[in-house]
Formats: sequence, structure tokens, C-alpha cells
Amino acid sequence: MSKKKKQQALIRSVPFMLPSFVGMIIFSLLPIVISIFISLTDWNGLDKLNLNTLSQHFVGLENYINILTTSEFWKVLGHTLYYIVLYIPLVFLASLGIAVILNKNMKGITAFRVMYYIPVLTSWVAASLIWKWVLSPQYGIFNQLLSYIGVRGPSWLTSEVWAMPAIVLASVWKDMGFFGLFLLSGLKMIDTTYYEAARVDGAGKIRQFFSITLPLLTPSIFFCMIMSLINAFQLFPQVMIMTEGGPNGATQVMVERIYTYGFKYFKMGYASAYSWLLFVIIFVLTVIQMKGQKGWVHYES
Amino acid sequence: MNRKVWQNVRFYTVACLISVIVMIPFFWMVSTSLKSKGALMALPIEWIPAEPTLDAYEKVFSRFPFLRAMLNSLFITFSYTFITVLSASMAAFAFTKIRFPGAGAVLNIYLASMMIPTQVTLIPLFVIMNRLGLINTYPSVILPAMFRAFGIFMLVQQMRSIPDDFIEAARIDGASMFRIFRTVVLPLCGSSIATLTITTFMESWNDYLWPLLMLTDKNKMTLTLALNSLNGQYGTEYNVLMAGSLISMIPIVIVYICAQKHFRQGVMAGGVKS
Amino acid sequence: MKEMKQWKAMAAGTAMAAVLAAGTMTAAAEEEVTITYANFNASGGQEETLEAMYEAFHEEYPNITVEIETIGFDDYFTQMQTRVAGGTAPDCYELNIENFAAYANKGALAPLDDLDASGYNETALSAFNVDGTQYGVPGNFSNVVLIYNKDLFDQAGIDYPTDEWTWEDALSAAEAIRALDENTYGIYQPVTFNEFFKVAAQFGGSILNEDKTEFTINSEENVAAAEMMISKITDSNVQPNDEQMSGMGDWDLFQSGRLGMIPTGIWAFSTFAEGCDFEWDICVEPGQTQKATHFFSNALVVNADTEKKEAAQCWINWLASSETAAKMRIDAGWDLPAISNEEVLSSYLEMTPPQNRQAVFDSLDYLEVAPVIEDYALMSDIITGKLAEAASGKITPQEALDAAQSECEAQITLQ
Repeated sequence: MSKKKKQQALIRSVPFMLPSFVGMIIFSLLPIVISIFISLTDWNGLDKLNLNTLSQHFVGLENYINILTTSEFWKVLGHTLYYIVLYIPLVFLASLGIAVILNKNMKGITAFRVMYYIPVLTSWVAASLIWKWVLSPQYGIFNQLLSYIGVRGPSWLTSEVWAMPAIVLASVWKDMGFFGLFLLSGLKMIDTTYYEAARVDGAGKIRQFFSITLPLLTPSIFFCMIMSLINAFQLFPQVMIMTEGGPNGATQVMVERIYTYGFKYFKMGYASAYSWLLFVIIFVLTVIQMKGQKGWVHYES
Repeated sequence: MNRKVWQNVRFYTVACLISVIVMIPFFWMVSTSLKSKGALMALPIEWIPAEPTLDAYEKVFSRFPFLRAMLNSLFITFSYTFITVLSASMAAFAFTKIRFPGAGAVLNIYLASMMIPTQVTLIPLFVIMNRLGLINTYPSVILPAMFRAFGIFMLVQQMRSIPDDFIEAARIDGASMFRIFRTVVLPLCGSSIATLTITTFMESWNDYLWPLLMLTDKNKMTLTLALNSLNGQYGTEYNVLMAGSLISMIPIVIVYICAQKHFRQGVMAGGVKS
Repeated sequence: MKEMKQWKAMAAGTAMAAVLAAGTMTAAAEEEVTITYANFNASGGQEETLEAMYEAFHEEYPNITVEIETIGFDDYFTQMQTRVAGGTAPDCYELNIENFAAYANKGALAPLDDLDASGYNETALSAFNVDGTQYGVPGNFSNVVLIYNKDLFDQAGIDYPTDEWTWEDALSAAEAIRALDENTYGIYQPVTFNEFFKVAAQFGGSILNEDKTEFTINSEENVAAAEMMISKITDSNVQPNDEQMSGMGDWDLFQSGRLGMIPTGIWAFSTFAEGCDFEWDICVEPGQTQKATHFFSNALVVNADTEKKEAAQCWINWLASSETAAKMRIDAGWDLPAISNEEVLSSYLEMTPPQNRQAVFDSLDYLEVAPVIEDYALMSDIITGKLAEAASGKITPQEALDAAQSECEAQITLQ
């Protein structure tokens, strides 16, 4: 692109970029920059927040050093990664399945679309209460079903081994409709002429899926991967309501700790430093995904 | 013919099975909301309340000015959703189809902003709102819609799939950027915009902590805020909570059903592309 | 609706009387003033009572207008902290005991000078006194009693609990009830810091030394207390473990008729009156070397930055200690006012069940104040965490308290 063309593009983009850019500066970047400063202090989160307070409480990198040298950070990071490793493949498979089913032009498909989305519409407060009952070892329906196939279900939420898988299960249930809907809108964007051409070539349903659907869906899949990773690292409400980090800290995860330090123990500086360490981890993993996308994501046809 | 029937049977079996899994907890919600306080904890669990009652619903309606809260919520949520969709689609258009210099870097900053947990930016953002004099005003809960990285990134992802030829063709015809945006790009993104509308509507509708901080005036209270005052220090009446949650789900379900029609249309219908 | 009217009529009447008698209660200032008050205690059903109380107050002090904000318990403290840090906290507000000390020590609260403290229950008032300065008044009051299922005691053929019971008596009764049925349990007492500091006191121990300069978490008495709390789950199993609870709440277990005894708050009365289809009653909690009972109280505090301190203090003082407010609080079945005038409290005794409501007041003689320190929440979480590990059988109570002691020493600096 020539210099002139670049300039033209810049000028043309201004009216389109203005609202989000202004919003970003005020409502996102500014608070984030302030939180960097907070992470360098031992501010308690109750004294009035201004420059004066922050400079008085300045402690340099102490928070970061303290966090990285405690075993808690690594334990909590481990729990978070464990959640992610279980959650992402499951939610991805479930939502792809849902998207494929909902993409069929069958009678009553609208009803199914509404039903599959209901967990997304349910608040976490209601959803986790329900799951507590569903997973109750003695009275819950889940273990009842397991007993029909001869399996004795564990005491999910109170067992150190099974509490995290239980949270994964509830999260997948709640989120699959969300990503399913997104993948569905990706499916809808695939030009039907491809399938017609493939049918003329005599390709079967399964081959069509792998040679047309999946490749053309990769931009949507990529989006889901990035978003689910960012979200999964920040899982919070389900943990707070279902286990509060228990039993014996087995479900303590990053944001749960950040909230606890910032708003329960009045160590906002420490909590902010924790967040920035979390940021670095998510950022690095996202950059890796971004770099990797060139190998498998197909834009345009 | 026989094969077709078999396919139908297979489809509906699978679809219904998933429905059951998805709906059981929802069914439990409905059933709890119809129980009296005493029957909540009966053992074995009552899937269908023995003596259904509307007590819980009566309580929800009588505890706070329901209509006022509902109208506030509708106003805030519709404004918020409209601004989000507009601002996000405009930005996504600039990122993918104008490709101004530095677009990649700006997009990365946008994306990175999602990686900091909101728990630590809460107090700074509150202080900024206070400085701007926005506390206790509707804009304090609506204006943050201007920047929603999630929506921008999602639409960027879809708009990338729109071939540049369309834009070039329209440019040659002498159409302005706004015209191209409105008549070419937006219609092609129908299903993504519908998705974004639903998710934004839902998030704004259910948002709790931020409105709680911003709107201290009772007359500006949203439905979610009102419902949350149902939980007390010494425990929660679950039947009332479930009744309230169900009522507050209704508007979202309506919006969702309305948005359905944008999913049904095959978006890249033959006419546009040739 | 009818009850509502009664309150109002009564409120008007008593307000008149109060005005006549209010020689000491001089009205704050004569000019018109509007203050803001935030609370969580009225959420979940008592908003109307609080509103009626305010109306009565406003009649007495027509120059003071109070804008009341009632916020659900779950996010109350997150929003309050944000508003305090942002410099826009309400003029006066409510805090629970866990958060009170942190706010007071960090300078967020105004000292309540010239407070007429004569009407308050002294123990409750002292909970909100930090190093000789009064930073809050007890806005309400609840204590813990032993609630028991009479039918189960009858079935097991044993005597009902009395105020003189020690833990040995309670545990042998629990065993007799546990023997009735596989799914029936003797007692339930959560293994948490909240229970622990009280049971420790019953065994003659404490969490901190007298002047709050050192932790004494793993003292001999405390270990004995923890062993009693935990062995009734792991050894005798008269108390269900987590798996046996199966996600059920302790109150639910009691209401289902499968639990003999539960030491719990008096706020359970209305729930149990409605939900239990068997006979139940109460007595003072069992003790060991001495009696000690729990109490809970929320602090009403004044924002350190407010320019309307006088009016704010006038309102919270009235709300917490005036006879009018106290009567309305009792009649609404909300909770108890933290006042010393037992005459006002007498109408509380007339309500049944439980028959033996007197036990609520008898328990007041043994109140144990929570060991309030600045890092209360952190200390509470550390100790609860270690006790839970012991309850799951991973470590012994001795090991748990040793670990809690060293962790608290490492992470918390006591003044």
C-alpha cells in the first residue's frame, strides 16, 4: 500500500473506530493501567483510591515476588489448568454436536433451538443450586442414573477428586448452548453450493463434513477456542456458589483467589499482582493460538 | 422413503435426548418455584410438587415495584444492546474491510483487554465514573457498551469470511463506506449479529454488580437488582428465588425467539454471490 | 397487610411517648438534613419493617430524612468496599462482625463520640469498641441455643437436654439417638472457625491471648475442643460427614426429623415453626469446663467522611436502641434488638414454639465475643481450612491446630 492509500484508509476508518476506541480508553484501558500501579502497592482496597494513596503504599515488585514464591499460586494455577484441560475439549465437542443438529431443516427445530439455549439463559445462581441437587450423592438424579448401569457414583462436590470434574460438568452444560449457537451461525454462513457440488462428485455425508463443513467452520472454531480459553481461565461464579473453593481447597482457582484477596482479606495490591500474572499466562497462550491459526484456519473460500 | 423415515426417527431421538438433559434442571426450577416453603426440602425429592402453589410468585410481585424495575431493565438493556451491536459492527468493519494501518495492533490491544479479570478493575472504574459525574445516571450502565471486545472480536471473525470482491465491486459503483457497511456487510452478517444481540441482551439483563454500584436510586433499580434483594443474611427462600429467576428469564427468551428468524435464513443466499 | 397497620399504629403511639420522655435524646440539629443508609439485614423479607421503623423515626425527628438502600447479602461487601474506596460511601451503613474491624482499623469509620450507650447490651456494644473507641452500635442481635427434636428423645427413651448439660451428656444422648436408625443422627455442628472459637471457650481455651498480641490456637484446651468436634464425626459418627449429608443443609436435616440436636441461631425459630411436623424445644448450649454461647450482631456505623455525622449517628442510635424500634423488630419476628431493657423483650417470650424461650435470655449470661482482629476473614479461613482437613481424617486435630497456628503467625501481624 502506498503512503497516500494508507492515509486514506486511516481517515476512512476514523468514524467507524471512534465509538469503540473512546470506550476502550475510558472504560477499559484506563482502569487496567491503574490496576498495574495498584499491583505495585500494598493498598488495602478501602483507603480512598488516588495517586497520593498509591504512592504512599508503593512496595515495588514485592507482591509479585511473594506470589511467585508461595506454593499456593502454583497449586491454584494447577487447578485452573486442570479445569481447562477437561472443560475445553468437552464443551467444544458438545457445542459442535448441538450446532450440527440445530442446522438441520427439520420440523420443530425452533423448539429445539430454544430448549438448547435455556441453560445459557439460566443464571449461575439458579444453575449451581440445581446442580448441587442433581449431583447430591444420595438423593441426586445423577448418581441414581449411574446406579442403573451398576456404577456407584462418588460424592461429587464434597470429594477432593470429583469436585472439579463436577464443576466442569455443570460448566459444559451451561456453556454448550452458547458456543453451539455461535458455531451454528458459522454453519449458516457456509454456501450450500459447495454441498451440491460435493454431492455431484458422489461424496458421502461424512466426507462432506470433514472436507467442507469442518474447514469452512474453522474461523468460528478458532473464535470459540480463543474465547473459551480466556473465559475458562477466569472461571468464578460457579466455583463461588458450588464449592467456595472447597473441599480442602481442591477447587481454588485464579479469579476465586483474586476476589478473596481483594475483597475479603483487603489485599488489593496483592490481588492486582495476581491478576497481572494471570494476564501474562492468558496472553502468552493466546499469542500461541494466534500464531498457530495460520496453519489451520481458512478465511474466505 | 423408508430411509427418510429412519433418518427422521434417528434425528428426533437424539434431539429429544439432549433436550431432556438440558431441560431437567430447568424443570427442577419450575417445580421448586411452585412449592410452598415447607415442601422445599421434602425427602425423597418431589419432582412434581404434591400441593403446587403460586405463593412464591405472589411474593416476588409484592416485594418491590415490579413494573418500574421491569421498565428500567428494558430501557437499559435495549440501549446497551443497540450501542454494543452498532459500535462492535462498525469497528469490525474497519478492522477487516478498511484495514487501516495499525489495525492488527489495535485489535490485539482490544483482545488483550479481556484478559484482565474485572474484579481488579472494579474500583478504578468506579473512581473514573465518579470523576465523570455519572454515578446514579443511566449512562453509567449504558455507555460501557461502546467497547465490548468480545463482540468486536466475534464480528471480526465473521466479517473476515466475506470476500473483498463484494466491497471492491461496491466501491467501483461509487458507494460510500457507510453505504457499503449498511447495505452489503451488515446483511451478510445477519446470523452473527443475531448471536451478538442475544448474548449482549442477556448479559446486560442479568448484570448485577455494576448496576448495584452505579444505581443507588431506588427509582432506577433494575429487575436483577430487585430480585437480588431477595437473598438475606440468614438464608434464601429458594422457591421465591426460582420464581424470580423464571420471571426474569421471560424477556430474554422472547428476544431469543425473535432473533431465530435470522438463523433460519441461509445467509449467503445464492442471490448475493455468483 | 393487617400486621403492617398494627405496626404503624403502635409506632405512632410509642413515638409520641418517646418524644415526651426524650429529655436526653436531643434532636440532632434543627435544620433539614437528608442522610443515606445502606443495609443488608432487611433484605430477604424485612424491607417493610425497616420502612415502618423509619416512618416512626421521621415523626420523632422530622428534620432528618433517611434514604434507605437495602441490598442483598451476597454482594453487599463488595459494593460497600468499592464505594468506600471510591469516596462515595453512604453516610451510615451496616457491617457484619467479620468486616467491622477491618473498616474501623483502616480509618473508614467515624468514632461515635457522645454516644448515649446506656440502653445497650454491654457485651454486644463492646464487640464494636476498638482500643477504647466506639466505632459502631449493635444494630441487631442473635444468639445460639441448642435446639432439639423432642420426638427423637422420646423414641430413644432418654431425658431432654437441660441448661446444665456438658458435652459428655450431649454426646451420650446423641449416641442413643444415632442408634435409632441408620439415617438418623444425634447432632450437627459445623466444623468451622465460627463454631470452633466458641467450643474452645467452652473448654476454657481461646484463639488469642488476653491482649490480642499472640495466637494461642494450638493450646491444650483448644485441641481438646477440636478433638470433641471432630471425633463425633469420624469416630462415633453421631454427626453425619459430608458424604452422609449428601449436599443437604443442616436445617433441612433437622426439619426432616432425622436429627436429634442442633446448636444454631435463634433466627431458625420461624423456619422451624413452619417446617417441622414434630415437637421441638430449646435450651442453653452444652458447655464443658464453662458455659459459652455464641452471639451475632451487625454493627451500624457512620462513614468517616460524612458531613452529616450528627444526624447519621442519631438515626443509627435510634434504630439500634430506641424502644419503638426494638418493639417493632420483635413484633415483626425479625431478630432481637441488642438492648438491655428486658421488659421490652418480654413480648418475645410469649411467642411459641419453642416453649422454653427463656433459654434465649439465659444464654445471654455466657456470651462469648468473637476474637475480632483486623485480618479476621483471613484467620477464619485458615482455621476453618485446617479443621476441615482434620474432619476429613487426613490429619489429626492436634496437627491441624499446629498448622493453623504457624500459618496465622506467618500471615497475620497482630497489633
